[in-house]
Order: sequence, then structure tokens, then C-alpha cells
Amino acid sequence: MTIVVVMEQVPDVVEELAIAPSGTDLDRDAVSYVVNEYDDHALEEALLLAEATGDEVVAVGIDTTGELDQALYTALAKGARRAIKLTGDFEGTWLSTRAAARLLVPVIQELEPRLVLTGVQAPDDLDGQLAPTLAALLGWPHASVVIGSQLVDGAVQVRKELWGGMTMTLELELPAVLGVQAARQAPRYVPISRVRQVMREASIETRDVETPGDLAPAIMRLRFPEEAGQAEILTGSASEIADRIIELLRARGLL
Amino acid sequence: MAQRIAVLVEHLEGQPTDVTFELLGLARRIANTNGAPVEALLFGQGVRHLAETIPADRVVLVEDPRLRYLTPEATAVTLAALLRADPPRLALIPNTSLGMDVAAWVAAALDWPLIAYCEGLEARDGQLVATAQLFGGKILADVRIDDRPTVISALAGAFAADAMQPEPPGTIERRDPPSELAALHTRSVVLERPEAADVDITRAEKIVAVGRGIESKDNLELAEQLAQALGAVLAASRPLVDAGWLPRSRQVGKSGLKVKPKLYFALGISGAPEHLEGMKDAELIIAVNKDPKAPIFSVADYGVVADLFEVAEALLERLEG
Amino acid sequence: MLTTSERIAFVLIALASLLLTAHGVSRIVRAIARGQGRPNWGIFFRRVIPVSLDILLQRPIFRTRPFVSLLHAGVFFAFVFYGLVNIFDLAEGFIGFSTLHRGGIAALYNLIADLLSVAALAGMLGLLIRRFGLRPFRFNERVLLLPSVRFGISRDSAIVGGFILLHVGSRWIGQAVRVAESGRPDWSQPTASLVATLFHGWNEAALTMASHVTWWLALGLILAFLPYFPYSKHIHLFMAPLNLILREARPLGQLEPPTSSDGTLGAERLEQLRWYQLLDAYACIMCNRCQDVCPAHGTGRALSPAALEINKRYYLNRNLAAFAGGATSPPLLEIATSKEAVWSCTTCAACVRICPVGNRPMLDLIDIRRALVNRGDPLDPNLQSALESLARYGNSFGKPARQRARWAKELPFTIKDARKEPVEYLWFVGDFASFDPRMQENTKTVAQLFHAAGLDFGILYEDERNAGNDVRRVGEEGLFEMLVEQNLAALEKAQFRAIVTTDPHTYNALKNEYPAYGFRVPVYHYTEVLAELLERGALRVQQPLRAAVTYHDPCYLGRYNRITAAPRRIIRALGLELREMPRHGENTYCCGAGGGQIWMDSGGQERPSEQRIREAVALGDDLRYFVVSCPKDMAMYSDAVKTTGYEGRLTVIDVARLVASAVRIDGLEPESIPVESEAR
Repeated sequence: MTIVVVMEQVPDVVEELAIAPSGTDLDRDAVSYVVNEYDDHALEEALLLAEATGDEVVAVGIDTTGELDQALYTALAKGARRAIKLTGDFEGTWLSTRAAARLLVPVIQELEPRLVLTGVQAPDDLDGQLAPTLAALLGWPHASVVIGSQLVDGAVQVRKELWGGMTMTLELELPAVLGVQAARQAPRYVPISRVRQVMREASIETRDVETPGDLAPAIMRLRFPEEAGQAEILTGSASEIADRIIELLRARGLL
Repeated sequence: MAQRIAVLVEHLEGQPTDVTFELLGLARRIANTNGAPVEALLFGQGVRHLAETIPADRVVLVEDPRLRYLTPEATAVTLAALLRADPPRLALIPNTSLGMDVAAWVAAALDWPLIAYCEGLEARDGQLVATAQLFGGKILADVRIDDRPTVISALAGAFAADAMQPEPPGTIERRDPPSELAALHTRSVVLERPEAADVDITRAEKIVAVGRGIESKDNLELAEQLAQALGAVLAASRPLVDAGWLPRSRQVGKSGLKVKPKLYFALGISGAPEHLEGMKDAELIIAVNKDPKAPIFSVADYGVVADLFEVAEALLERLEG
Repeated sequence: MLTTSERIAFVLIALASLLLTAHGVSRIVRAIARGQGRPNWGIFFRRVIPVSLDILLQRPIFRTRPFVSLLHAGVFFAFVFYGLVNIFDLAEGFIGFSTLHRGGIAALYNLIADLLSVAALAGMLGLLIRRFGLRPFRFNERVLLLPSVRFGISRDSAIVGGFILLHVGSRWIGQAVRVAESGRPDWSQPTASLVATLFHGWNEAALTMASHVTWWLALGLILAFLPYFPYSKHIHLFMAPLNLILREARPLGQLEPPTSSDGTLGAERLEQLRWYQLLDAYACIMCNRCQDVCPAHGTGRALSPAALEINKRYYLNRNLAAFAGGATSPPLLEIATSKEAVWSCTTCAACVRICPVGNRPMLDLIDIRRALVNRGDPLDPNLQSALESLARYGNSFGKPARQRARWAKELPFTIKDARKEPVEYLWFVGDFASFDPRMQENTKTVAQLFHAAGLDFGILYEDERNAGNDVRRVGEEGLFEMLVEQNLAALEKAQFRAIVTTDPHTYNALKNEYPAYGFRVPVYHYTEVLAELLERGALRVQQPLRAAVTYHDPCYLGRYNRITAAPRRIIRALGLELREMPRHGENTYCCGAGGGQIWMDSGGQERPSEQRIREAVALGDDLRYFVVSCPKDMAMYSDAVKTTGYEGRLTVIDVARLVASAVRIDGLEPESIPVESEAR
């Protein structure tokens, strides 16, 4: 049986982000892309599930960046059996989550998976998260903020994280959609040589898709948050700073 | 279309959560600009008594055993049914673990726009403008809300609850559970509390919190020493807990615990929005981080841009010596 | 002279013994041949004479432990000479040939044999007393040892020691008996003649009997021992020279690419090791010198290079027929060493350098790492995130490449962009020197010194990547290759005469690893360049410094690449008093950061760096500075000085900062190091 993992590339927030002159998009030339870290966890969780059951993991993504191959090859190297890339004319567009979901639904339906996993959120999903959106369009049950899952006769047991260390365990009938916060174990490391080998030997299936019309809310402008640094910055040597901190704590009766 | 603002009441174990009151406060402030009513949507089982504590013009109450917990599917279909029958101007849903399951689902099911990670919402020249966090809070997007009914998924801790006027008791309207509840695909639900915590960090007066900057598990000892010397307890940001270096009960933030100590001493925490949500109400925040641009400095009272080990050691020397 | 029946018996026993021995040897040869690759016999003839000379002079053994080495030398020289002795004794038994009471060359032969017999007996007794009385061979309790090893080593040592004592002793006493038979002392056999006095009063029949018994004990014993010999530690006397002779002349700092067999890169099982790694097991004499110098074992971690070789040997001996016949061995992680041990190696190569028989246990550990990484075995989380950062950003700090040269912006001048204009020296700065805020000050100092000296230099800015030295040693060969490709692409854009590096690890990679990828340019360490600049007057000491310092040789500089003089030349040129730690130069002790350890959580009780700081502190109360020439050392020892409580007493300082203080460059804040005028 099949488990689909939906993977997306997002701007790497380790790099400094710049806003395009239009004011409504990032300066895409200055952006470098990484796999959404939660999607990495979704892939790991899917691989762990598949290892237990013998399911086939299919990685699916929409190539909005022109660089998705790298992510899909990595998924194949980690253990996914197939990789499907949706291509289209996405240049200069900011594909909304809703639009992405509409492109993905027919592919998912065709694959007839018993589970769809994706990251709980992505740093660019201004119009909401993908997992519940897919669930609504597919009419399947779902859960987000998933931190563990297990397939049990016709259903999936998922642990969903609430807050304060509380968790909710749900049993969802299959097929279902999961938004993964964290896989049971850290995403595995895949040696570069294996990725390179996969790049030589495996292939990514490509499907052309039409760019859908978009009803996402209109961004008026992007801006950086108010300059960080309302904190008073203490300077000097480590020992001067330590003296200053002790003084501050004493003044407040905290020492 | 109605100008009504609907707010989903989030509750767990018989208690509405803080963010519910924050959203009701927000709804009230928006409503005050045009006199629209604020409507609270309360789903559950045996929660009638909660309705009377909700400061809204109207509380819509749906009770059903399948709504005992606000599980993703049951909550989403109930909310969608109510909103479809009588669309409001805005539907405010907390961007929490429970709310995230619902907001995007409902918006997609109704084909309404959704603005997620909302941290600001105001009426400007008769226009509603939402501010949403993008890229982990590194960039803000100002988004115009058009004429369509719109779902807002609002960040916990972003809006004040205390701006509310004392409310006259509103009306309470009971509605029948929607027919969709009969065909759920969710079989069972179990709520699990964390294992008995070694320390309750929510009650601590002083907290030393460590983040990724601590680099390795070996270095926790230094932080623990500092905490002891300060009479504080040790807490951590999510990555350290995920790595298994400290138990879940020590995690501060959105998926961890919300703390309000007198002193929050943050070592090597850059301050992801999820973390700030859990600690920004501390009375005194001192943050040490190598990166002068770390977001933690935006909520800290005092910041130190330095090697955390040097500062921690210098402090220890003074406190112990 | 033997009786005829004795002669027939000896020949028959000898034939049986040789057959059995040949059978054992052939199994061992077939077992070793299951290793990957084949020896290059071409170098055999080139190396046999020089290596034999080394061995005859016992050079590899005398590197440490002088007294024990002396005992060994006694046994060794006796063994070599006994080759001759045994032939003559055989001749005596069979044809009655005797050197007794002869003059000339025979007397010399007698004298040497007589004295060496005593030396061998004394040496062997000494070694046995040491092994069984003092019991110096201990492994810490976390080390994996096959159950057969503990008892096996003792039994084997007892058998081999007993054999040598009995063989040599019988021959020695036999000579005494012959002297006694002759009725007068033989001046060319002084000790035997002395012992002969014990046989005063024995009648002829008793002496004849004794002469036969000692002959059989001396020579018959060889026949009895011979079939056991291939399985004993004694086989080292063939395998060790073979190991030393057939060792390829590869720089210590250059690894071979991983072997690939049955879809495994590196080594998961014995037969996936290279042939010489299997030979290592038979060359090992279990002296544990490698363990003594191992920083991982010394800090209580599970690694013992000795145990690794011994385990291999014992596994092979117990399963030799099957293994030689082609059976699959169990995983190395079950029979040779533990995963914890594999991941605690710092690749400092101390074990390789110290080994008297030319073993390289470190290579086994790296090959096992290669297999683990390639199989997708879970990695230490910090190591994993370092590797992911390296793959993505080209540095282990998880920082965008664009920030690599950010430190350079704080300089009062602009460093040339070697990609855009030709330079004489291309400065390959390295990750730690570029990104670690604690190191950036040193890096800026080096830049200012180069600038002040008028050196024509430039950097690769954001195109530089981690050189991959430790990535390769962690076992991530694919990532190493990727980094090499990226660096070579960047280097191709630049025009330069030579490379200068800050980091010794980078130095090693560029100098020893990159040539395999077709990159051959002169590579210098910055201490070499600074020493030269000082010596030719491009940098002038304005204020000689006055302090007692010690210098720590980085493994990848001192041991791997034998650059030990340049930093010392600098230190002396500045007027400082250099005090050497006991372990220095090629003998240096690891800081604990190498081989990827800097990215991992240490599980040791004490860190090697802390032991090292104590070693320095013991040099005297007035020792002020612990001088380093490696950014990783700066990080490790700055921490260690704090954790050992010597902060304030001992200051860790980069050699470049000392130079800067002494040459007083404008705009450079000098360290508060006492200068000569102040101290007087």
C-alpha cells in the first residue's frame, strides 16, 4: 500500500531574507531554498511507518523553485520508492496553500494512498496549513501537530501534541491526512554518495499542471518586524556584564 | 453579509484557554469600530456552565458527546456547518494545536480566504487589515481583508485580553449538532497528561532557560549550576527537549508551557515565535545570545551579545565566590 | 651424537611438525588474502633491506619504554643468532660436529651464543615477570574484549615465554653438560663453563644422558612448538617485518578511498577490511603501546586500538578454517570493537605512530565509520547536523556561505579577492577561523600580520568550503568528495603560487588528500609563513616578550605533517622561553577535537584537553602561556583551562597573537604580555 508524503521547498530563513522592490514578495533572486523542516519530519515518519508495514512511500512535490529535484532525490535516497514532481509555470508566483492543495488532490487520488503525510506548517503558508486543507478537499479525516503514529488494522493511531506536555491520541480511519510536527525519531542522515547514486539510477516522474487561479488574500506589503532590540544591550567584558546583571537582580530583590 | 464576528471558544478539561479571551478581546475591539456583535461558538459536552463565563454578545452552544474533546474532524464539521448556514464577517480561530486543525479545514471546505499566523488586526479607513507572521516571524505581511467572509487563525499571546469592557451577560443560543457529526471517521480519543513533572516550571519565580546555543548536552551542567546559584529552575526551548536532553516538563513555548516568572534568564535562545509565546510575559527577561539580531532581544529587557559560556561562568564565579 | 633411532625419530617428528605448521600458515595466508586489495610486491625488494636494518637496530621498538625494549632486544638478538645455533646443534646431533674448545671463528661463535643465551633468558624472565607479576596490560572496563582474549593472552604468553626459556635454557645447560663432559672449562663459553661446575662428580653415563635430554629439549621442543607457532603471538616475528616492509609509502595524512564489496562501502565485516588490516592482527604483539597513547582510552572511553587488533586475531584464530575457507565473518562491531569505541576515535594517529610492528588500527575505525554512515546508522545528533550544514552551506556552523568572510569587513584594509586578481599566497582560512566568534580575533590578527609584512595574499571569500579533512575521517566519503569538488572549482578561479592555511586539518587535507584529485600546489601552515616573515625581517620584533610558555603541537601539524620547528622558531624569535611538555613534537597528545569529535558529544569522564592542561601546568608555576597554532585547539583549550580551574594562571593564546604583541602593529591591540623592558 501507499503512503504519500508531500514535500515543499521554502526559503531558507538561515539566510538573510530581502523584500523585492514590489514590496509584496521576497527578493527571490537572493533566496535559497531548503526542504521545509517539518516535511523532513513527515518523510521520516512515513519511512518509519512503511518500514513497519512494507508500505511504499511516494514523495510528491510541486516544483515552484526549479530546484525540487534535489529534495526528491534525497527522499528517494532515504527510502522513498517513487518521487513525483508537478511542474508548471510558477515563475514569479507565490503559490498559495489552497492552490497547491488543488494541484495535489488529483495526484493523491490517483495514487490511492492510505495515508498522506506532510509538515504541520511551512514558513510561507500565509493562507493556512496544507494538511487540513488537503483533508477538507479530499474529505478524509486528519490531525495536525502529530508527533507519532502507528498503523493499526484499518486505522492510524496518531499522537497529537497539545501544550504543556499534554497529548491527544486519536484513531483515524484510513485514508487520512497527517500534519507532522516531529517524527518519532530525528530525520535520518543520508550519505551524499547514496544521493548521488540515486541521481544516477533513479528517476523522478514529472506531471505538467496548469497554474490555478488564486483566491488567496491580497498581500498589501511585506515588512520586517520593528527593529529587534528594545532590550537594553549590556556591553563590556564578561565580568563587567556579570557585575551588571548581579546589580540588576539585586535591585529587583531577585538575589 | 453580516458584520458579526465569530470566535471559536477553545477549551480543554472544562477550562476555556487564555487565547480564547484574547480573541474575544480582539473581536470586541474590532466590533467597537462598527457596532457589530461578537459571537462565541462553544462546542462540547456538558459545557453549558462555561457559556456564562464567556464575554460575548451571544454564545452559540452546540453540545454532543462527539464534541467532548475538540477533535479535528468533529470540531471542523460543526464549525463549518454553522458558518455556512450564517456567514459572519470574520471567524477568529486560535492558531493553536487544536485551532490549526480547524481553521484551514473550514476555510478550504467553505472556500473562504484564510489568514494564518495573524498577530495584528485593525480597521484602517474602514478597511480591515491583518498582519501575519511569515518565515518564522522574520517577515510580517500586511494583508487586506476583502469583502468575503474570512477566517483568521490568530496567534496566542498576540492580542490583549484585558482591553475588554465588562460585558453584560449575552444571550445563549443552543443549536442542534449538525448532521455531518453522524459520519465521522475518528474512532477514539484519549487525552494524556504529562508524566508527573520533576519540577513545575510554571510556578518557578526564576527560570534559567537554555536553547540551541548551549551546543552540547555536556554544557547543560554549567546552566544547571547557574540555575542553582540563582535559586532558579532550569528550562529549555524545544530543540533541547526534542533532543532528549531535558524532559518535556521543562519546555517553554507554544507546545510546551507558558511561564510568567519574575526572572527569565535566556541562554543561547534565539527566540522563535513559538518560544516567545511561552515566556514573553515574564517580569524581567535577560537574554544572552551571540547573534545581535536574535528575536529574543525584541522581548528581553536586557540583552547581552556575547558567548553565553563566558557570561555564565563569570556570573557563577560571582554567585558562588 | 644421537643414536640412530633418535635420528630417525627426529626426522619423522620434524616432518610431521613441518606439515602441521605449513597447514596453519597456509590457513593464515588464505585468511589474510580474503582482505581487500593485494600487496604491492614490487616494493618488497626496495624496502626489505632498509626495513630489516631498522628492525635489526630495534628502532621501532625503542620509540618508547626503553627498559622493556632492552629486554626485548636481548630476546630478539638471541633469536636471530639462534638461527645459526640451532643449525650447528642439529649438525652436532646428527654428524657429531662440535665447536667445543675450538679457537678462531668457532670461539667467537661460542662466545656470542653463550652471552646471548643469558641475555635471552634474562630478557624473557624480565618480560614474564613484568607480564605476570606487574600485570601492566589492562583495558578499561568499557572496552569490548572477546571472552577468549583475557585468558588467551596469558596462556599464549606463558606458552611462548615458557618455550623460549626452555629452549634457550636447555641449549645453555646442554652446552654446560658438554663442557663438563670434556672435563675442562671452555673459555669461549664462560657462562656455560660456570654452570658446568654443577656437574662435577656426575659419571659419564649420567652426562651422556643429560646431553641427549638437553638436546631434545632444545631442538625437539622446536618441533613440538612449531605447529602452535602460527597461532601464537610469536608469529609477529614474521608478520611484523612483513607488515613493515609491505607498507605503502602513503603519507599518514592521506586515506585510501573506501573499499566497496557486496554493496558495502568501508568495512562491516572482517573480509571487507584490506589485506593489510588483517595482517595487522597477526603482526600485533599485544604490547598495548597504542592504548597507552590513545586519548580516547586515556579518558575512559571504550576505545582500545590494541583490543581491536587482539580481538581480530582471536576471532580469526578460533574460526580460522571457516574464515580461510570463505565463511562470512560476524559484524566487526560484534567481534572487534564497539560502536562507542568507533565514534570516540579522534584520528590523532598516535596509535599508528607508536606501533612497533607498523599496525594502523585507526584505519579500521575509519572504515567501520564509513560503513556505518553509508548504511544510514543513526549518527550523533550534533554530528548529523554538522554534516547537514556542511552539505548545505559548506561549513559546520550552519551559517550562510555569504557570511564566511564577514570577519574581514572589520579590518582597516581590504583583503584581495583571489578569484578576481592574482595573489602570491591564497589564504585558505577554514571554518573555525572564519565562523567561530572566539577565533575571529586571531584570524584578523593573522590578516594584519600578513598585511603589515607586505605579503601578497588573498582569500576565496564565500567560495571557500570546509576542506573536508574531518568529514572524510568521520566516514562521509561522498560529502568529502563533494567538498573537494566545490573547493577545486573555487580554486580554479584563482591565480596563486601557494596556499597558506590557518587550520592544520585544512593543511592536511590540501597537502595530502587533494593531490589524489589532481591538485598539487605548495601548501604552508601560517606558522611557517610567519616564521619566514620574522626571519627575513618583513616583521620586526619591536618589543621582545618575556614569559615562560609551552607549545602544543596539533596532531595534524606535528604528528601528521612533522611541522614542529616553525612554531618554535617563532616563539624563540619573540624572546619567549619555551618549555616543552613531555609529549611534544611528533609525540604530541591530542586535544580531543579531531576526526569529527568537535561535532560530537564526548562521553569521556575527563577530556584529553584537560589532561593536557594539567601536563602544561606541571611545567612550573611561572608558566604563563599555552601557545596553540590551531583554531580547534584554541576552542578546546580555552574551555579546558576553565574547567580545570587554571583560568588566570595559564592563558591559551594563538601564536599569531604573540607575534602581534611583539611586532606592535598600528591599530592592533597588543596583548598584555610582559615585554622585556617591563619585566626588568
